[in-house]
Amino acid sequence: TIRHFPAPEGPIFTFSSLPYPFRGTIKSRGMSRKRRRLVPETFGLKRQREQGLVESDPLRSESVSVRAAVSELVQLFPRSLFEDALPPIVLRSQVYSLVPDRTVADRQLKELQEQGEIRIIQLGFDLDAHGIIFTEDYRTRVCVLKACDGRPYAGAVQKFLALVLPACGDLSFQEDQMTQTFGFRDPEITHLVNAGVFNVRDAGSWWLAVPGAGRFIKYFVKGRQTVLGMVRKAKYRELLLSELLGRRTPATVRLGLTYHVHDLIGAQLVDCISTTSGTLLRLPET
Amino acid sequence: MLGFLSARQAGLEDPLYLRRAESTRRVLGLELNKDRDVERIHGSGVNTLDIEPVEGRYMLSGGSDGVIVLYDLENSSRQPYYTCKALCSIGRDHPDVHKYSVETVQWYPHDTGMFTSSSFDKTLKVWDTNTLQTADIYNFEETIYSHHMSPIATKHSLVAVGTRGPKVQLCDLKSGACSHILQGHRQEILAVSWSPRYDYILATASADSRVKLWDVRRASGCLITLDQHNGKKSQAAESANTAHNGKVNGLCFTSDGLHLLTVGTDNRMRLWNSSNGENTLVNYGKVYNDSRKGLKFTVSCGCSSEFVFIPYGSTIAVYTVYSGEQITMLKGHYKSVDCCVFQSNFQELYSGGRDCNILAWVPSLCEPVPDDDETTTKSHLNPAFEDAWSSSDEEG
Repeated sequence: TIRHFPAPEGPIFTFSSLPYPFRGTIKSRGMSRKRRRLVPETFGLKRQREQGLVESDPLRSESVSVRAAVSELVQLFPRSLFEDALPPIVLRSQVYSLVPDRTVADRQLKELQEQGEIRIIQLGFDLDAHGIIFTEDYRTRVCVLKACDGRPYAGAVQKFLALVLPACGDLSFQEDQMTQTFGFRDPEITHLVNAGVFNVRDAGSWWLAVPGAGRFIKYFVKGRQTVLGMVRKAKYRELLLSELLGRRTPATVRLGLTYHVHDLIGAQLVDCISTTSGTLLRLPET
Repeated sequence: MLGFLSARQAGLEDPLYLRRAESTRRVLGLELNKDRDVERIHGSGVNTLDIEPVEGRYMLSGGSDGVIVLYDLENSSRQPYYTCKALCSIGRDHPDVHKYSVETVQWYPHDTGMFTSSSFDKTLKVWDTNTLQTADIYNFEETIYSHHMSPIATKHSLVAVGTRGPKVQLCDLKSGACSHILQGHRQEILAVSWSPRYDYILATASADSRVKLWDVRRASGCLITLDQHNGKKSQAAESANTAHNGKVNGLCFTSDGLHLLTVGTDNRMRLWNSSNGENTLVNYGKVYNDSRKGLKFTVSCGCSSEFVFIPYGSTIAVYTVYSGEQITMLKGHYKSVDCCVFQSNFQELYSGGRDCNILAWVPSLCEPVPDDDETTTKSHLNPAFEDAWSSSDEEG
């Protein structure tokens, strides 16, 4: 049997201000000899005199599951900022920062989506940026806000939550699907759009959306630019993670520095390099 | 290692298993070596490299000034230090040299007597290697981005040419004319590649974000257009039926022809099942790509898990093909890397870039481990510092 390489192991930097080990750190991707630690001993080149062995960590014996990663990230979401009106939204890139093997992460996210545990939402600002929400959270929030009002769309929203949400796990919905399979009429679909549950995509198809997520997206985009700017303005365009997290949170970063750092690392907008003084975030040259 | 050898000897394991394991080990140890060099002839960026498939000994390179150089990669001197010599070149003083930048060179797949080169001067030239004369010239109306000849075909000798126009032209070397045209793309064709498994299957990549698989015997249109969402309209924004969210720059079949790798300017690389066009959804992360013309990358051959070597800015990124893990980035070029080729007999990688250098990446051999135990008590002094009057055991 052919052996496969395990997911790349990286040293864990347990961080005093982070409540959990930061798994997304990779070794220096330069021409270092340390990359040979990534392969099993079958293929290991004999470099016995190398210093700097891989720190064995009991928590990192096998790859962490995506569900655990999403639960951890959900803790980072600032519920109080939105007065509990929004369910906690986690981004796909943040999951990548905790689960280094992206293919496995994608596969597990797809499984969770098919089982109905999470919903994936298209956030409008980037084709790749997908938000992940636990279905339960989504249902309770939308129910509390929209379905219990005396508003005209309450009935349509309730019907949607009962019928469509459990049945169809996709990001978007087509017109024929809504009218034929689920028996929605045009005025009801308009109510859903007015309620904020649907976003118009093009004629006859809609994205699933979180009502009131506009504020979140605004804060997120601004916060992302700010944190990236902090790294960019640093000398040599690199910043130790400890220093970045130790700085005072700028006013434009409302969602928290750790939240944004996870996203930047997972989206590969910064390179994450392990050094002897800790994790270093560096802007890529390209 | 010894385990592999004894298992092979006893017949417990397939002989190929040892070979694949050792090839993989060598590929994982690729690095720049001070003992291996490629002679520097080009005065401007190296756009394309090709190693002949018969022996793996001769390499062609095409440059941005139209110069084509032929190198001998074999080390027949007994020294470890070896420079790959340029045997001959088609320089600016040659009467038939390309006027503008040479974009693709390719050896004739069956022997080294002939090679083809295509260039921005809208010509595809067929050269005789021994006399270095053009045997044939094909003229086109648009600049040529890429051409490819099937590596396995024996029933036909068609060269597929991708130009700035949306039509893929197939030139027949036997008759000396363009035999037919494949229509279907809407913008320029940036890369073409024949399948290494089937004689008549061709893949083309275009700036309109589409990759199409063709059977050239079929008159009506392409076989499959690759769709990154695998037909699920729920995920597609405006990108229905496209392979990438930007221009598709590069194509490479894996060595068994069962999978196809594509890269696009949306900084993604995708792996496709070449028989049904399905996106295998392997996630390589961000594969930075801002090349406006084709990107030439390559896949290893003969290892237990194949690797893809792709130019990434001024480095070369190495990923495992089927799991998407990034192994390393090979740093060494001063400017952006344009092309790389893999020599599968010795597991060496040659890459050319805009800094006019061709670098050879060689598997690093095991250095002798310095002995830690005290068998060597003699200190290794430079003879200049040894004093002549110290007593030693040899002197009586």
